[in-house]
Parts: sequence; structure tokens; C-alpha cells
Amino acid sequence: MRRLLVVSVLVATAVPLLAQTQTGRGGSGAPTVGTVNTAKRAAVPTGPVPRLPNGHVDLDGVWVGGGPINDLEKDGGLKPGEIDSLLLPWAKELMSKRDVTLEPHNQCLPMGVPRVTPFPYRFVQNYTDKAPTHLFILHEGNIHTYRQIFMDGRKHPDDLDSTWLGHSIGRWEGDTLVIDTVGYNDKWWFDRRGHPHTEQLHTIERWTRKDMGHLENVVTIDDPGAYTKPFTVKFMATWTPGNELLEYICQENNQYGVQTLPGGLPAADTGGRR
Amino acid sequence: MRKKLAVSLASVGLLCSMGPVFAHHSVAGEYDVNKPVTVKGTVSKIEWTNPHARIYVDVAEPNGKVTTWNFELQARSALTRLGWTGKSVKIGDTVTVEGDRARSGATGGHATAVLLADGSKVLMGANNDN
Repeated sequence: MRRLLVVSVLVATAVPLLAQTQTGRGGSGAPTVGTVNTAKRAAVPTGPVPRLPNGHVDLDGVWVGGGPINDLEKDGGLKPGEIDSLLLPWAKELMSKRDVTLEPHNQCLPMGVPRVTPFPYRFVQNYTDKAPTHLFILHEGNIHTYRQIFMDGRKHPDDLDSTWLGHSIGRWEGDTLVIDTVGYNDKWWFDRRGHPHTEQLHTIERWTRKDMGHLENVVTIDDPGAYTKPFTVKFMATWTPGNELLEYICQENNQYGVQTLPGGLPAADTGGRR
Repeated sequence: MRKKLAVSLASVGLLCSMGPVFAHHSVAGEYDVNKPVTVKGTVSKIEWTNPHARIYVDVAEPNGKVTTWNFELQARSALTRLGWTGKSVKIGDTVTVEGDRARSGATGGHATAVLLADGSKVLMGANNDN
């Protein structure tokens, strides 16, 4: 979206006397409450890739995007059906029954991998002269959480208790940060369409800062429990200079569905293969 | 005021660069964009919170009954980037809120714009369904 509609100027004299309650927006009978202008989107910087003193790419910055929200297939640059055709029968049936209003993410549960949210995140690398041991990805929302990536060369444990964000180990391949993750639970959805997965899920993310303002994330998704073969999706995150992470406590006042859905608050659908 | 608006518009530029998505859920799943509503009334409560800020507006109906409308705004963090603060709208302010109604039929919705009565300030509250 290169342009955003911005309500920028209120023309007070154009505001008619409003009834206490009116329906309709911008159509016949609706009040004219302002003019709508367009504002140019701030350009994303494209300068050279920044580097740490040890030569590694500096991933610092507040990023948005870089993963799916609505549709893993479309957001990931694939054609309609390229992922859906790989679904095993039980997974296809589960996905067909999923209702977007029941997705766990609505109830302040983690978004999983490689899903992103409308909110920014930040990579925190090791800035000492010692070899890096950890890398963290701090997510503003939703939820306010972090991913921990072990950078010390360790392997995945043989016996993992499944978790929402899994067990991640990372390494550098040239200028690409490779994050290998297993040990996921099956409670989160890849996207709002409800693409499912199982505890057999294995993701390999390849993060490459293409320039100052663009960070590519190429993700291989391998889940023999839900898909007939691995597939790869590709995303691009953008840097938001001058931005900072802000506090975001999802549990503070989440009224999702309490009054707005017929029947009230639904139970989150965290069910996987049954 | 002009300065505040300028700051707000500058923040909009920042927001634009962040992408158009600021709802933690599917707006269309909860609200009906085919049922837009415009409400004018008095602010009775403000919740400057996440995952969404909320503004409650008391509306006097023609029969004298007062109905409280509960409008969902963007996340507090997203509004902060738009230039809002917890004092941008105060209890007792007369506001006009534009939005889409809740699918349940409750007197509430998600706001796409909040306008103050003096006409000098325009605040966006849109939740884009992306």
C-alpha cells in the first residue's frame, strides 16, 4: 500500500448538525465530517547493510512484516493451492472447519512461527567480543513475548516437551542468519485461514538483510504430520527507523468476542490432530 | 493545535511505513463493515489499554434514554505512534465516532475515526483488517 487514506483536515463549517445517532458513512444521508487526503508512505531506507565489529550483519532495528498474517500461501508468495494441495486429508478437513473467530491468537496466545503480527519486533544480538551464545527476537505484540535462539553450537535435545515457539538453534551462513526450530506444540495456527501443523513441525528460517531497510525471511516448512512434502515461503520485513518497541500487554483489556460476537466469548480452538 | 496535528501526521508517516495492520484479530470476523455507524455523544469512559484502547460514548436517544456505546480503537501502542496520548480524549468530551457495528448487534463497534466537537482535532482509530 503506497498511499494511505488520512483524515487530515476537519472542515468545521461543513459539519452539519448531527442527529444523536446516525448510520451510514460517506453515503447518502451520512454527515460530512472531514476531507480525506492521501499522504505519501515514508520511504524505506535502502543504504548499505550495517555490520557489527565482528563482521556479522547487524540485524538491529525495529522491523515489521516478514511473515504471514492472513494467508501463509498468499503472503508467502505462492500461488493459490500450492500449499493447500499438500495438506493431508485430516489436515484439510481440520482447516475447513476452523473458524477465524476461534483462533488462539485472538485470546492473547502466541502467534507461532513464521507468523508475524501487525506489531513490530527487534533482533537482539550479542554485542560483546565473546562468541555469541544467544540471540533474541523481542516481539511487541501480540503477545508481548520473545524467541530465544541458541547460537553456541548446541544441538536440539533428543526429547523435547513441546512448546508454543519451540526450541531454536541458530548459525550464520555467510550473511544469512539460519534459525532451525523443532519442538513446537500444535496449538497455534499459521495464519487466519487456519493452516494447521503438528508437533512434527520443523522450520528453517533464513534471514538475510538485503539492505538497510529490507530483511528477507525465507522459510522452509517441513511437517510430515500435516503436509505431503516440505514447502518454502518467502517474506520481506521492513525497517521502521525512529521507531521503538512499546509496551503491549494483551491480557490487560482483551474484550475479543465478549460482547461483539453472537454468543459471546468463544473458546479458543487450540486443537490439532485428534 | 497545529503543532499537535503536524506531529500526528508525521507519526502517520511512520505508521504507514510500518504497514497497514493494527488489529490483533480479524476485524471482519467480529464487526460488520456493511453496517457502518456514526454516533455523537459524550465520552463516559476511556480505557487506554492493549490489545485495544476503548472509548465509551453516552448517546441520548430521541426518547430520552441514554445508551452507552463501546468502541474499540486500535492498540494503545499503535495509537501512540499516531500521536494519541491518554489525554487526547477526555471524559465529558463531546465526540463523533465513526465505525462499524459489532456483529452481535450490541451497542458497540470498532471505530474508524474519532472527531472532537470543536472541529480542531481529528483522530484516527481505524482497525484495518489485514
